[in-house]
Amino acid sequence: MPLLKVRNVTKCFGGLVAVNNISLEIRHGETLALVGPNGAGKTTLFNLLNGVFPADEGQIIFEDVDVTHFPAYRRAHLGIGRTFQIPRPFNSATVRENIAIGGMFGAAGSEIDVDRAMAMADHYIEVMGLSPHRDKPAGGLTPIEKKLVEIARALAMKPRLLLMDEAMAGMNPKDIDKMVAFLKEIRETEGIAIVAMVEHIMRAVSGLAERVLVMHQGAKLVDEPTREALSDPRVIEVYLGKPPEADHAHG
Amino acid sequence: MIFEQLSGNLLQGVILGGVYGMATMGLSLIFGVLKVVNVGHGAFIMVGAYVALTLFQTFGVAPPLAVPAAMVIGMALGMVFYYSAIRKLLKGPELASLLATFSCGVILEEVCKQLFTSEARGYNWELGKLDLGFTVLPHAKLLAFGGSALIGILLYLWFHKTRAGMAMRCVVESDEGARVCGIDVDWEYALSFSIGIGLTVVSGVLLTMFIPVGINPYMGGSYTLKAFVIAVLGGLASPYGAFFGGLVFGLIENGSYTLFAQIPGLEPFAMTRFFSFAMLLVILLLRPTGLLKAK
Amino acid sequence: MMNGYRAYLPILPVAATYALLLGIGVVSPDHWQLIAQLAFYCALGQAFNLFMGMTGYVDFGYVAFLGIGTYGMAVSIYTLSDKGLGIGVVLIGLVLAAIFSLGLSLAVGAVALRLRGAYFAIATIGVNEGFRYLLEGARIWNGADGIIFSRHLRQGVGRQTAMALSTWWADILVFGVAFLAAVLTLVYMRNKVGYALLALREDEDAAKVMGINVTRYKIIAFITSAILAGLLGASAWALKLTYVYPSDVFAIHYTVEAIIIVLLGGAGTLLGPIFGALTYGAAKYFLAIVLPGFQLLIFAPVIIAIIVLFPDGTVGLLKKRLRDTPLGKFII
Repeated sequence: MPLLKVRNVTKCFGGLVAVNNISLEIRHGETLALVGPNGAGKTTLFNLLNGVFPADEGQIIFEDVDVTHFPAYRRAHLGIGRTFQIPRPFNSATVRENIAIGGMFGAAGSEIDVDRAMAMADHYIEVMGLSPHRDKPAGGLTPIEKKLVEIARALAMKPRLLLMDEAMAGMNPKDIDKMVAFLKEIRETEGIAIVAMVEHIMRAVSGLAERVLVMHQGAKLVDEPTREALSDPRVIEVYLGKPPEADHAHG
Repeated sequence: MIFEQLSGNLLQGVILGGVYGMATMGLSLIFGVLKVVNVGHGAFIMVGAYVALTLFQTFGVAPPLAVPAAMVIGMALGMVFYYSAIRKLLKGPELASLLATFSCGVILEEVCKQLFTSEARGYNWELGKLDLGFTVLPHAKLLAFGGSALIGILLYLWFHKTRAGMAMRCVVESDEGARVCGIDVDWEYALSFSIGIGLTVVSGVLLTMFIPVGINPYMGGSYTLKAFVIAVLGGLASPYGAFFGGLVFGLIENGSYTLFAQIPGLEPFAMTRFFSFAMLLVILLLRPTGLLKAK
Repeated sequence: MMNGYRAYLPILPVAATYALLLGIGVVSPDHWQLIAQLAFYCALGQAFNLFMGMTGYVDFGYVAFLGIGTYGMAVSIYTLSDKGLGIGVVLIGLVLAAIFSLGLSLAVGAVALRLRGAYFAIATIGVNEGFRYLLEGARIWNGADGIIFSRHLRQGVGRQTAMALSTWWADILVFGVAFLAAVLTLVYMRNKVGYALLALREDEDAAKVMGINVTRYKIIAFITSAILAGLLGASAWALKLTYVYPSDVFAIHYTVEAIIIVLLGGAGTLLGPIFGALTYGAAKYFLAIVLPGFQLLIFAPVIIAIIVLFPDGTVGLLKKRLRDTPLGKFII
């Protein structure tokens, strides 16, 4: 029984088919890298998965529940968490309050009161190394710190599936390695399945993901284990264009 | 009898609707370009009414000739409000620009109260009338309708045939794109706000040609409400949609007045005003982006 | 509860302010009218802030809730005063005021709260006018003629009591509404409601993704704010004046005053509306002597100046400055 099952999902904006008939499955606790060049439809797919807008066609099933027509907040209650490409913390709230909000309203939200959420927040502040910023408004943090706050906020939601939009963009190699190690640990300790959207950073993909899904022009191009994907000529083509010899061969 | 009355009222409604439409074009223009809802819209119509009244009573200027003066005054007011407040709020939360335009309206109302007292005034400009048998159309009303249509056409030509108008259309589509093409977007914002206010003040002049009485500092409130109904009918961001929305609204308003007048125990005037508010809620419930706008 | 009682310490300055105002009024009856007016503005600001300050949405038709609350009290006294209920008509009046404003807020909220930003403002701006014209047009509750019920009140509770009600108890009720609004604001702030509202005020889409049912929390704030307004109308207008005309109680300038008060003090803060109310009320009182009729002309540009120059308002600024000091515990 997969955690998430997506069947033939399509989304159009006017004449543009942003996501074209995509099907995929995500198993409990696995990590999937969602790769593709700019404009491939990755963010749209994320928005469909967590209900920012509804799909035009197709079906999305999360843990046996058909969530196709569920609004975003109900999907969050079921256990779909999300971070944004450009972090969107609640700027005037403190770091602690931001993370606590995730705990209060997330998957376990109905049983968590404000005090417990604050205690949870303190735990994730520790884990993410945000202690010096605990009581500062999130709006004043650096972009990387905001990103950490957002990840902590999403983790506090106790998701079963975490959608991470460009979690490592803008980080230096050292930070990326730290983040990869951290995500691996989270996966082990909390049993979260992660879909990490990455544009280029193969370093992160190879270190973290078991499987790679490559999108191209709204459609699914490749869905295979990381090792094969990294040497798949179709993937290389999407990123680098056709090698000249190939042109000769066909011509 | 009732049908004669109804058809007469509907014809009056279309003519008034044309003026209403013109009175909403400024609102739509400003929303279309700046994404700012001018909550103080009606106050600018009120300013136009006082321009017409004052020029006519003090200087004997016929109301249609007050239009250029109204345009100049309106554009000047628009520039002042844009540069003193609106400009700094465009990047901020929506709440800020709503409160600012609302306050602009309050300022104008209070200034006019000090200048003209809050007593309702009117003027009397006789220009003859056209008798159609089932209804009588004063020439002043026809002139107001003609003027509104003409201004609508001029605005269309300006948008489609002039450099400045094309630049503004680019900004409506995408301010980033316009910026990349070398258009001074900030100036376009100022210009659209100012033209939008100018058109609104002009519409105040034309409205007095239709209803030359009841001019008072607080007359704008009901026009703000009507303009919102019309704007959501025609699509909030489309000046031409606003014009046709106005025609439809004029028909509905006068039609519903006639019907309410048939029902004993109702005050048709007040019911019509309630009806336009109820209509606003229903349209917003069904399709906030405009009923008349194509998908 | 967060940190136990300490989380609720900021109610102390609120209570102290109201006690001080009441004390001045009792000691110096000459100033009672001014005090009552200030209490009205405090209540108006607190109630309005509960929605506008906490959600970041502005309801331009807010006065409609005060108006319909006024009618709740009026209808109760007008129709029930000969039933031998005594002071019960006033209690029923308060209940009716709450029910009426609840009903209207549900009707308006059902449409307006599905809409975002500018469209919300458009949906609410006509509520007061629309409702006024419904009463006048369909001649509900005597239509434009209003309800004059001073005689009924005297009949129902006796001359002495009627007098005491409109000269003293009406104002005490206004204090009660003001305090209730402050308590509710603080309780919301300290509970999930407050955090949900904080999140949706900052970023509504991100809030949804965090699992917040934004519509639900907006409705909670909207309804609470509306019911407080209804109770305020019932006490400050109906009980005090013993008449009601639709053209008076649906006048938009009360919404303007509410906006001024909240912005002066700082939207979304607990103490802001009180500070705003005292400043505005006092300024209006003295302007009425020095420059009668000019108060809105002076305050409308002040709104713009606040929005442009310091959108946090006075208490908002103080709160930031004092965050890490012992005083900070009291100022939110």
